[in-house]
Amino acid sequence: MAATQQEARSCVRTPERTNMASVNSSEWRAICDKFTNAQNLTEIESRNDKENDPFRSKYKAKELLREIYCSLKNFEAGEGEEEGGGESGDQRPTEQPVDGQREDLFGQGFSGDSPAGLRAARLGAVEYYLGVNHVDTEELSAGQEHLMNCMKLLERCRVSSPNVSLFIQVRNQLGILWAGRDETETAQGFLETAESIYQRYMKEDGSPPTDMTEYFAAEENLLTHQERIKRFELAYTHTMYYLAQVYKNLGQTERAATYCHTTLQRQLQLNQFTPMEWALNAATLSQYYITKGRYMEGRHCLSAATVISDLAGEVPSEAAAQENETESERREHLRQKRAEIARCWIKYCLNLLQDAKKQLEDNIGELDTDRQEELKRARRREEEEEEKGRKSALLFGSEDTFDSIASIEEKVMCLFPLDFTEARSVFLVGQNHVTQAKDYFQMDGYVTDHIEILQDHSALFRSLAFFEEDLERRCKMHKRRVDMLEPICNDLNAQYYLMIRRQLMFELAETYNEMMDLKLALANRQADTQSLDNHTIKKFNHLCSASAKYFQMFLDSLCSPEGKFPERLEEEVLRPALVARFRVARLHSRLISTSPTVQLDNLNKSLENYKYVVQYCEANPEAGAAVETELELSKEMVGLLPLKINRLNARMDSNN
Amino acid sequence: MASRQVDIRFSSSLTRRESADGGRLAVQVEDKFVKIRNVKLDGRTEGAVDSREKLLEFCFDYCYWSVDRADPHYASQEEVFQDLGVSVLSGASEGYNVCLFAYGQTGSGKTYTMMGTPDSMGLTPRICQVRWLINTQLSFLEIYNERVRDLLKGGEQKKRATLRVREHPEKGPYVQDLSSHVVSDCKQAIDLLEEGIANRITAATHNHDASSRSHAIFTIQYTQAILENNLPSETVSKINLVDLAGSERADPHYCRDRLTEGSNINKSLVTLGIVISALAQNSQMSSSCQSINSVASEGDGSTVGSHSSSLSGGGGGRRHCFIPYRDSVLTWLLKDSLGGNSKTIMIATVSPSASSYNETLSTLRYAAHARNIVNKPRVNEDASVRLIRELREEIDRLKSMLLSFEMQRNPSPSLSDERDGNLSEIVLQNELKVTQGRHTCLHLPV
Repeated sequence: MAATQQEARSCVRTPERTNMASVNSSEWRAICDKFTNAQNLTEIESRNDKENDPFRSKYKAKELLREIYCSLKNFEAGEGEEEGGGESGDQRPTEQPVDGQREDLFGQGFSGDSPAGLRAARLGAVEYYLGVNHVDTEELSAGQEHLMNCMKLLERCRVSSPNVSLFIQVRNQLGILWAGRDETETAQGFLETAESIYQRYMKEDGSPPTDMTEYFAAEENLLTHQERIKRFELAYTHTMYYLAQVYKNLGQTERAATYCHTTLQRQLQLNQFTPMEWALNAATLSQYYITKGRYMEGRHCLSAATVISDLAGEVPSEAAAQENETESERREHLRQKRAEIARCWIKYCLNLLQDAKKQLEDNIGELDTDRQEELKRARRREEEEEEKGRKSALLFGSEDTFDSIASIEEKVMCLFPLDFTEARSVFLVGQNHVTQAKDYFQMDGYVTDHIEILQDHSALFRSLAFFEEDLERRCKMHKRRVDMLEPICNDLNAQYYLMIRRQLMFELAETYNEMMDLKLALANRQADTQSLDNHTIKKFNHLCSASAKYFQMFLDSLCSPEGKFPERLEEEVLRPALVARFRVARLHSRLISTSPTVQLDNLNKSLENYKYVVQYCEANPEAGAAVETELELSKEMVGLLPLKINRLNARMDSNN
Repeated sequence: MASRQVDIRFSSSLTRRESADGGRLAVQVEDKFVKIRNVKLDGRTEGAVDSREKLLEFCFDYCYWSVDRADPHYASQEEVFQDLGVSVLSGASEGYNVCLFAYGQTGSGKTYTMMGTPDSMGLTPRICQVRWLINTQLSFLEIYNERVRDLLKGGEQKKRATLRVREHPEKGPYVQDLSSHVVSDCKQAIDLLEEGIANRITAATHNHDASSRSHAIFTIQYTQAILENNLPSETVSKINLVDLAGSERADPHYCRDRLTEGSNINKSLVTLGIVISALAQNSQMSSSCQSINSVASEGDGSTVGSHSSSLSGGGGGRRHCFIPYRDSVLTWLLKDSLGGNSKTIMIATVSPSASSYNETLSTLRYAAHARNIVNKPRVNEDASVRLIRELREEIDRLKSMLLSFEMQRNPSPSLSDERDGNLSEIVLQNELKVTQGRHTCLHLPV
């Protein structure tokens, strides 16, 4: 508050009377020059300010703006106008400012092009620029004060083409300011008013509005209609963009997503975007839709991202990158962003497959053919509705991009794949993007990213395997998963990549388990006899031990550096650790052996692990809730296994 | 030692503004609790305000009151070192990565705590004073505007080149081309520390004469000989001392949670991506909040307990997506220090003066929030439905076996004579059948 009062006082009234109306007067020219200068300092020179003096140019601009303010005041005084709102800072109520708009911003007050209206707008614009400048230089309270002064000046005017842009932009700035203070509702008030001002103006007037910079431009420098529209629309795009953030902060996710979408669409339509940034944003938005299960929108965003990212141009060659640092950075940037978009596509394919699987599986995780038929029938009905659905959805596109976006959309389905052929087509699209993403995110340099991509690839195989009827081929798909994950799991530094390794261990254990089950099922189908041949038994035992080995490795990773297993499991590993114990117990009891000694040994190991689960949950009762089923079964086994062990012992004794 | 610990220290440094309002204290410390008086409500009439609103309370692992040396509760540098410095060193010698963060507004005594003055050494030089073990290496870097600079390269560095952050499968996350300095005694270490500090970027603004706007990471890495299974072995310990920037810029969520302005100059809406990312992330969180805890039994509403029914019943389930938004360089570099195999200690310094209310509150909130910053591991369990079903079948078999065994022990009178003699044989036969059954239970559940 103090800042403005001081500025106001520091304006020295010059005795001579100046007429502002004479736009060609030298005083007015001087003001215009100062303004141009201030703009230049703020927008261009400030970018070159040194790190230890970051606001140098903005401070200079601030001085110029203050001078302009004083000069304008003088013009005003010279014309005998009453004092402007700019000096009424001391009367402001201490309440938090809200957008104290009148009932009807469009109906009352000075017309925008009346002399009084124009003066108010000019002073308001200077207050606006001063406000933005203070905010930029981390003096928020002073910034707020200037922006509110601008609001006050505008209160006396009615919304019309000479001032509507200022009406909106000052509210945008106040919105940012209040949101920065976590006063989201206050911000929301300003921004929603800005939104409604725009909408009403476009409905009732719609002529290309004056840009604020034109208040201080010589007649020959006025903007074309086209340029005016562009700037005005950009201001409104910002309103949309800020509202998206406000709604996000208020937790209104759905609404926030709509505003993000609108922002992107406006950028595209008005041709105000940088291609790669836009593409990445659209790709990210697709991920929002995917988590909501809205695959049509997700696919649309991704297709648009792919099309627009191509507008960013060719990736410079490696040779070009080596010669020139700018090219090298550009190469890096383009490759990275394209790889990131590819990763968004992977997630699309993966989630679509996984969701389809969830729809189709029966209560033991196998394909439910009745359900499959039912869904196929339902889809035939849906397909007829699809066209209608499309029209109501939010779509991206300008005239020249619409078709290319549609042709990319055609390459992958957005409905749930219901049989192997369909699943495979989705899988293949995903796998293509895996290759593309891995090309940039290589192991050396991008360990975490690279592995995440491999994990997705493995998950793609897993989902595809669900649709595969041939057990032999299904088993091979799981083998592919093992082949891609196993070497990495064993080579990674155990300390730096602890989390990743734990995930990999668990996944490998599960995969081996799955293969083991498949081998058994295959053997069962092939032979009607009750006996297993040695080769199959060997294979089965190998898979069984491998699975147990990785669960055990997971458990070992929980040990302290001295190799002690923790007495209390941390919450985030509680369930996985107990489940791993439970699984190890089960696997040991499944190993096939003809030797009673080995059998006994396996059963004892099994019992020991079941006992651990039971005893841990007795000692830490709250753990029971996390592993309800496993605990129940472990208890049973702890009761029953000793019987089995005793009999085996008895038999061994009697045989001896 | 808990793997994450948050401590608060109240400092004695008086800034200009504090002296102006008489240094009125707005904060009380009781044991591990910090209570801060809500000065925003001061002007209001007594009855109108709920008493709970007047005092905000935060709990920390340690609280130090270093405002007035005459105060009986005054916590000296030595005391802070004994608690925090010692736990840093012991954590490292146990083989953990240790990370000590310092956070607080400019003028709240952060530098005093971390560095100290010549006659009152802070944590860093005290940590440097411990006896060096084999091969101690130091590096010192700064992160300014998401760019990494080496603070110990002196004149060699051309145009303040930015360094690239990478990950190596064996060596973990690292800064490419960051200089590493072997030191053999404490003096060398402190000299390097001071050289680096002098190279940090500070900025003069109307608000601050010299506020540090960058994060700095001072890394001590040393090798120690240990015996592992009675064999001599070496273990590498790493200590990161992190000085976070002296303003809200230090908050890694700064950009995410706030509105940021879209520049009118170029067409870039820089943070739109961040907003969209947050949306995707939030909705991912809400559908996967139980991430590791109830995944196993998913899809099997019939056989498992209540914890999974919310997942299988909801229809949607969890969907994991990719957020193409890079972590801040700081988070990225320290990811192995935030959870898992590491110990993290955070010290937040705040000024007790009423005029610093806003900053103090935001520091306290940030520090309280920091307790929850963990790298949570996500382990994906495949559906173990089949396994559970098979196990149930086995349990049933074992039970019926038990039952038949029981029947034979208490046989009905008419049968007893016949069977009593060869009980063990029957048991054996039963067992054989069962084991056989186990081996050849080959049919796939349909």
